[in-house]
Amino acid sequence: MEPHRRTTMDEVLPGGQGFAGTAAQGGNQLNGHKQSALDAAAFRAATERILDAINTVIDGKAEAAKLALTVLLAQGHLLLEDVPGVGKTLLAKTLARTIDCSVSRIQFTPDLLPSDVTGVSIYNQSSRQFEFRPGAVFANIVIGDEINRASAKTQSALLECMEEHQVTVDGKSYKLAEPFMVVATQNPIEMEGTYPLPEAQRDRFMARISMGYPDKDSEIEMLETHQATSPLARVSSVVTSADVAAMIATVQRVYVSQSVKEYTVAVGRATRDSAMLRLGASPRSMLQLLRAAKATSALDGRDFVLPDDVVAVAESVLAHRIILDRKAASTGETPQSVIRGVLAKLPVSQEMTESAHASRQARAAGSPGAPTARPSPELRPSR
Amino acid sequence: MTLAPQRQTDASSRPSPVSPGRSPRRPGAGAYPWAMSGAVAFAVAGAALSLNGVLRGWGWYLPVLTTIVVVSLAVAGLRALRSQPLLVTLGAFVSLVFILTFTFFRRDSIVGFIPSDATMAALGRYLRRASETVLSESSPVAPNAGIVLVTCAALGLVVILVDALALPLGMPATSGLGLLAVLVVPAMIKPQSVGLAGFLATGAGFLLILACSQWFAPDSRIQADTARNPGQVKRAAMTGAVALVATLLLQLVIPGFDEGTFPQGSRLNPWASSNGLNPMISLGNSLRQPTGDGRITYATNATTPLYLRSVTVDRFDGDAWSPDDRDSTRRAGAGRMEVGHEILAPEQVREVTAVNTGDFTSPYLPVPYAPEAVNGLTGRWSWDPATLSIKGTDTNSRNQQYLVRSSAPKLTTELLDQSSAPVRGIPDEFIRPPANVPDIVRTTADSITQNGRTAYEKAMAIQRYLRAGDFTYSLESPVQGGYDGNGLSVLADFLTQKSGYCIHFASAMAVMARVEGIPSRIAVGYAPGRLTGATVSVAGQGALPEFEVDARDAHAWPELYFQGLGWVPFEPTPSRGVVPPYAQDSSSSGGASTNDGNNDGLLPTSGATAAPAPGPAPLPLPGTGGTTSGSQLVPALYGTAAALLLVLVAATPRLFRTSLRRRRLRGPARNGQAARNGQAAQKGQAMAPLAWAELQDLATDYGVRPVPSETPRTFSARFRGSPALIRSDKAGPEASEDLVHRTAEAAVTDLTGAFERHQYGRPGSPVETAGPAETVRLPDPSAADKIRAVRKALRRNAGLPGRLRADWLPPSVMSRFGRIAGAPFRAAGRVAAKAGRAAAGSWNRARDGLRRLREG
Repeated sequence: MEPHRRTTMDEVLPGGQGFAGTAAQGGNQLNGHKQSALDAAAFRAATERILDAINTVIDGKAEAAKLALTVLLAQGHLLLEDVPGVGKTLLAKTLARTIDCSVSRIQFTPDLLPSDVTGVSIYNQSSRQFEFRPGAVFANIVIGDEINRASAKTQSALLECMEEHQVTVDGKSYKLAEPFMVVATQNPIEMEGTYPLPEAQRDRFMARISMGYPDKDSEIEMLETHQATSPLARVSSVVTSADVAAMIATVQRVYVSQSVKEYTVAVGRATRDSAMLRLGASPRSMLQLLRAAKATSALDGRDFVLPDDVVAVAESVLAHRIILDRKAASTGETPQSVIRGVLAKLPVSQEMTESAHASRQARAAGSPGAPTARPSPELRPSR
Repeated sequence: MTLAPQRQTDASSRPSPVSPGRSPRRPGAGAYPWAMSGAVAFAVAGAALSLNGVLRGWGWYLPVLTTIVVVSLAVAGLRALRSQPLLVTLGAFVSLVFILTFTFFRRDSIVGFIPSDATMAALGRYLRRASETVLSESSPVAPNAGIVLVTCAALGLVVILVDALALPLGMPATSGLGLLAVLVVPAMIKPQSVGLAGFLATGAGFLLILACSQWFAPDSRIQADTARNPGQVKRAAMTGAVALVATLLLQLVIPGFDEGTFPQGSRLNPWASSNGLNPMISLGNSLRQPTGDGRITYATNATTPLYLRSVTVDRFDGDAWSPDDRDSTRRAGAGRMEVGHEILAPEQVREVTAVNTGDFTSPYLPVPYAPEAVNGLTGRWSWDPATLSIKGTDTNSRNQQYLVRSSAPKLTTELLDQSSAPVRGIPDEFIRPPANVPDIVRTTADSITQNGRTAYEKAMAIQRYLRAGDFTYSLESPVQGGYDGNGLSVLADFLTQKSGYCIHFASAMAVMARVEGIPSRIAVGYAPGRLTGATVSVAGQGALPEFEVDARDAHAWPELYFQGLGWVPFEPTPSRGVVPPYAQDSSSSGGASTNDGNNDGLLPTSGATAAPAPGPAPLPLPGTGGTTSGSQLVPALYGTAAALLLVLVAATPRLFRTSLRRRRLRGPARNGQAARNGQAAQKGQAMAPLAWAELQDLATDYGVRPVPSETPRTFSARFRGSPALIRSDKAGPEASEDLVHRTAEAAVTDLTGAFERHQYGRPGSPVETAGPAETVRLPDPSAADKIRAVRKALRRNAGLPGRLRADWLPPSVMSRFGRIAGAPFRAAGRVAAKAGRAAAGSWNRARDGLRRLREG
């Protein structure tokens, strides 16, 4: 529905002071424990505002919207993969709009250069110095449209930013803004002249969503509401980026019990052991799975993770990282169905009753905090 | 919330909601186990008092008491150490084995109390002895080691049972069952029933158990059960009323219940098939049977009333008399028999009798005296030359039809009177007077026979004395007087009381005759029967009249030996049998006096000559179905034990399930620092997994099985949506029904939430925060109340079969049992699978190797 634009960057590019500011700001924001978290009510109110705003724009895709928000709050990146015209880009843009933060959009094409993404140092005649002109990734939310159209080199430039949350040009590192989220879309149909993301790079995305077609009623409603103007125009930001940072901090404080960790690990091992998979879920994916589960539980109003949360996000988080065995693929299995099968067979360890309970009490007495809830070091911005 | 603290608050009506420092349990942690075990020991020891009379004397009581005390101490000690209930019971068993070994097999064991192989061998001997005792003696039986061992073991088990019922299962009132089991034995066996002392002691002990469970209740659970439940008194009253009505009705319904003395085992004993090894014992019971069974019919050509004789008793020593089989001197085959002593009588009476024993079952064959040949028998039989008793070696008398030719000297008063030659040619045991003859027997015998010159006169004097008016025939008075049985001591009682039945009369005459120097023995069999009106045609004899006898005709009579004439029967029992002509007093009215109108038909007018008639009547005596009180002891003991065991086994799943539920709902106080010094919130948390486990089991019981891969939430949702829990369409429209189901659903949701918080939430966080928003919050009932609400809804939806299954064969327990039972098989399966894989691997390697060789 978005017209194909040849422009590589059509949205706001933060100016020089913008990138400097965001870089400085970002370091603070991601220090989850310093950031004041929201209480349950405020958190719920904020999430409701965001979801409501998205749902006014995109009809019948509440699940996708929620998952997108989950990924945002879990500090992951989102891959939207579906046929053209089901609202991938619209979802990405709406999500970006609801938050009062910098947004940039990159329309990937085969001739897009890595420096277009990351930025480039150019020689300033007047000052006789090289100045860094930040690329499109210097924004809180980066929408990468049709990421599979870009060359592998450009793709990996983006993917490096996604992982490191920083850009290195000419040996100098520039921090990216926080929160930082890449929402990439990919079109699986039109394969000619594209460079589909290799597995290793898909692994960088926390979750992949297939939008799917809207149901009949939603489609009719969409026809009505979208006739005159794009509803996107009416969306205004409902939360600030500081709010989002606080929400992220809240998610980080969600408690993960030992048994949920064990369950998560068990899920990963089960995919690796599955006869239908050539490649199971990586340890990194386990981490992302757990973070997504934390965000899900926070969205559900809880401050602790249930196995249900893990189950809820497992398909979205894992399906794009695993590779089906050829035999399984030929029998009509899909990654999703395999993951469903794995989950259906995996016991949710619940034998923790009287005996384990005692040790649990002992542990609880010793450490009132929740050491497990700290963000992992690799995500912390380095200075 | 655990239940215990809540109830505590209730009981003391203290408003302060939390008293974290207080332990709500065991106000007297030390006293409780000891008090309870003491009460149990007291009750069982009291119940054991009633066994006096089943076992003779009091010598057995000390080992019994030791056993009870040791087992109780073991239980109390273990419980004071706060062992697991199962461990306590196990320990009690072990202590029982130890003390029994120590008491009975000290020399055959390791270190005096650990059983060894030798112990087992000795145990076998003891048990055999016990069963022999029980089979061959009438109550009270002599307390030999075997029987005392069995008693001790049984009572030790009762202690364990009562204890288990009262404590871990929390049903102190039901523990009375165990005591009842003890009382059943004397009630069935002893003529005086349980006896006042035993009854009072048992009752007192039972009350003590109840009281102790009130006073010393560990967690006020039991207290609360009684104190809080207003229905308790009503229920107790109802139970009592039902029991009373049942007792009264039973009396009317069961035939013979109101006749005779009630606690007569024969009527209550379901294991009534006696083997009849000792006819002396079964005789009394047979006679007392309200309806005759074991019918024997016979047809004979005898001109005088015919006594059918099974066996004789000839040893009068010892506490209890029993037939001496003389197995070593028995001769095989019954085709030809001879009396073995000289018969000088001028004339022999030969008779032919056809007997049909029907369902009369005994090792001994009822035949007229003195049999010369028995034809038509099946199986192998042997006969004793000394007594002419015919005994099956591998068979019994059931359904036998046979023809007996018998012959006896034609006796007259004169012949008998003249027989004064010294006795010879018969075994000494018929002659030797018994040792320890009670004085009263000897003096009575001497005084009544002082005028007798010949043996015959002395015998007649004795018979006259016994038939005279002083003595009355009564089946009941020996029972009531406590001398129902046999033996010399019984005889003394009989001579004092002057009332009894054939056994007493026969043995009195036999013993007195021995004392006076006349060889004697007691014959056991049937008094002459009644004409049936039918005739039986016997080969060579034509049609003979048929007679019948049954259990009520069972009889005993003395046989006295007269040199040259052989064994001569007498009839000292008044009103029974027929006095033979030679034994009739010349002074008394001439003719053959029958004692009993019953027997009128006995005297066939004419020469209905010998005819074997099919006339089976069951002689309860020689060991047929007649159950004697003695022979009831073992079946009664075993039966009671087996029944108890059966009930216990059948109830095991239910008991297990109930106690599991109780334990869970009581809360985690057992290992809980939480309960002792924690906060209420922590207690609530600690409760959650228990309540959750209970919820899952409850769902399993009513058909919603948890799946391992389900998260608590998924399971909860499935459970809430299952037909087991949701309001069924069948339910009535009442709003109350709706409420039940909604309450149950809310309870499930709540329990799920609590469990999730406990399982996955931040430890120590308050319960209230972060509950799932979806839950409908109840007014905050305890977890136990929620479980009850769920159970109520489930029961409402389940049909009767479902409820029964959930109660008696709860799938949650059964699958647990199944897992345990299946574990060895699974392990074996795993080993087999591994071995199979290994074998396949080796085979493949070998094959590859071979192939390579060949190709190479």
